[in-house]
Amino acid sequence: MLTRQQRLLLLAPLALVLVPFLIWPALFGFLASFTNYAPAQAHLQLVGLANYKTVIGDQQFRAAFRNILVFGVVAISAELAIGFGIAYLLREPFRGRELLRVVILLPWLVSPLASGVMWHFLFSSSTGMHNFLFASLRLPTLPSPLGTSGLALPATIATDVWRKSPLVSFLLLPGLLALPPELWEQATLEGASLVSRIRHIALPGLTPLILTVALLLVGDTLGLFDSIVIMTGGGPGSETITPALYSYQQAFQINNWPVGATSAWFIVAAVLLVGLCYLSLARQEAS
Amino acid sequence: MDAGWWAARRRGFVIRTALLIGCVAIFILPLIWTALASFGVVPDETASPPAWTFPPTTANYAEIGIAEPTFAQELLTSTGLSIVVTLLTITVGFLAAYSLARSGFRRKRLVAQSFLLLASMPVMAYVIPLNDTVRFLRLHDTFVGVALAQTAVYAPLATFILYGYLSPLSLEWEEAARLDGARPLQVLAHVVLPLVASGVAAVAVIVFVLNWNLFLLPLVIQTSHIKTITVAMSDFFTFERELEWPTAAAALIVSLAPLAVLVAVAHRVLEGFRLGAVE
Repeated sequence: MLTRQQRLLLLAPLALVLVPFLIWPALFGFLASFTNYAPAQAHLQLVGLANYKTVIGDQQFRAAFRNILVFGVVAISAELAIGFGIAYLLREPFRGRELLRVVILLPWLVSPLASGVMWHFLFSSSTGMHNFLFASLRLPTLPSPLGTSGLALPATIATDVWRKSPLVSFLLLPGLLALPPELWEQATLEGASLVSRIRHIALPGLTPLILTVALLLVGDTLGLFDSIVIMTGGGPGSETITPALYSYQQAFQINNWPVGATSAWFIVAAVLLVGLCYLSLARQEAS
Repeated sequence: MDAGWWAARRRGFVIRTALLIGCVAIFILPLIWTALASFGVVPDETASPPAWTFPPTTANYAEIGIAEPTFAQELLTSTGLSIVVTLLTITVGFLAAYSLARSGFRRKRLVAQSFLLLASMPVMAYVIPLNDTVRFLRLHDTFVGVALAQTAVYAPLATFILYGYLSPLSLEWEEAARLDGARPLQVLAHVVLPLVASGVAAVAVIVFVLNWNLFLLPLVIQTSHIKTITVAMSDFFTFERELEWPTAAAALIVSLAPLAVLVAVAHRVLEGFRLGAVE
């Protein structure tokens, strides 16, 4: 065991990085949201909840949270399901499994921003994949779904699922492999079906890990920005605007700093809310 | 074991192989399409039925340098930044995780999970005030500023994951070393680190990838001097002339290649990657 002083010394470097570059800005943003603070603001004054009123009253902001709710529910469930499926397929050893584990991780290595650029072109009418297929089948070609009302959000969700399902499978596979082999042997002897193996062996053993992955995915989704800004810029209309895009536009493009910082605090609040659910679920799981 | 069992097993094998090939095809096809485009092999719109334009060329890779003259510089910036930030992240995360794992504190699991909560906080949640803080510290648009701000992004995640490696370690070795008169940092470097070295390396690879791909943070903390490859790509995609797909594809492949090589080289190490403690 270390002494108290030694433990604090070991924690100090992390604190030196996190306090000025994460915790203080987050708190400062919260405090500033009750004022008219902005970098070039000469007369600082308290404005109460005025910023919050502005943000909540904004159609765009409400659309952003509605979009991200749909996006999150659909994309995260799909990513968990597909990621789990791939991990399950990779569970038993076979020749070439090591290679496959690396190859299947490739989509996640593409940065969200580059993935946005890539799908912009892959969805476009002249360079796209689907239109090449349609043309080969002598079907009429379609405009990019990213610019089509009603299709833009599903299309962006699909790109997110493409990029992140491989990561989920990469994170879940070690958990599957760590389950005691006796459980699988038992299931084989009993002739258990695939569904029952998944329900009674894989899922119970993986629950803590799945919760952890889910929390990270939720956080990532709530900050969704890089790929959206390239693919749709929030459009058409406000069909794909996200909270992160909204905050960014307010703070750095319209130069409405207070509204930007205040709306970003809704992202913090959402992550904290989901995080508290995670903590209580993880605690139930442990006991 | 009767014949039926073998038949079922064989059928399972065939189905699994088919599904895996299907998955790989779906996930990799977009990248193959991009790689082909980077060599100028793109669908020919004028042909019917659709065909490909041939022959392949490497001209598009040269074109990157014309569309973005400082591309090589930006590659270097991204490389240097990602290496420095990865080392910093792993160092501060490792020390903190060790401190937590070796404390007698009863609720330390909860503390570790709070780090996970910090890790899931998206950059957008605090980047607007962070921009102010960094300017106040006179670190805006400097290597140090971007490096420290990036370190803060994934240090909580690294701490959480490394805690998972350190907390199940038996105390035996450390106690023995201490009885021999080793100081805590010596114990850490010569006893603890070797025991978890491959895990630490796996976390380092993942942290490197995450940093290489960061966009919003370097975008906000820099204006011109510390331009990373993601910021450069967004620049020449959004602000400058209409970008041609083969050039964009080539830039994309160039930005992806280092990560693909890294992950391929480190694939054995990555097999030991564990997210969270094995209870």
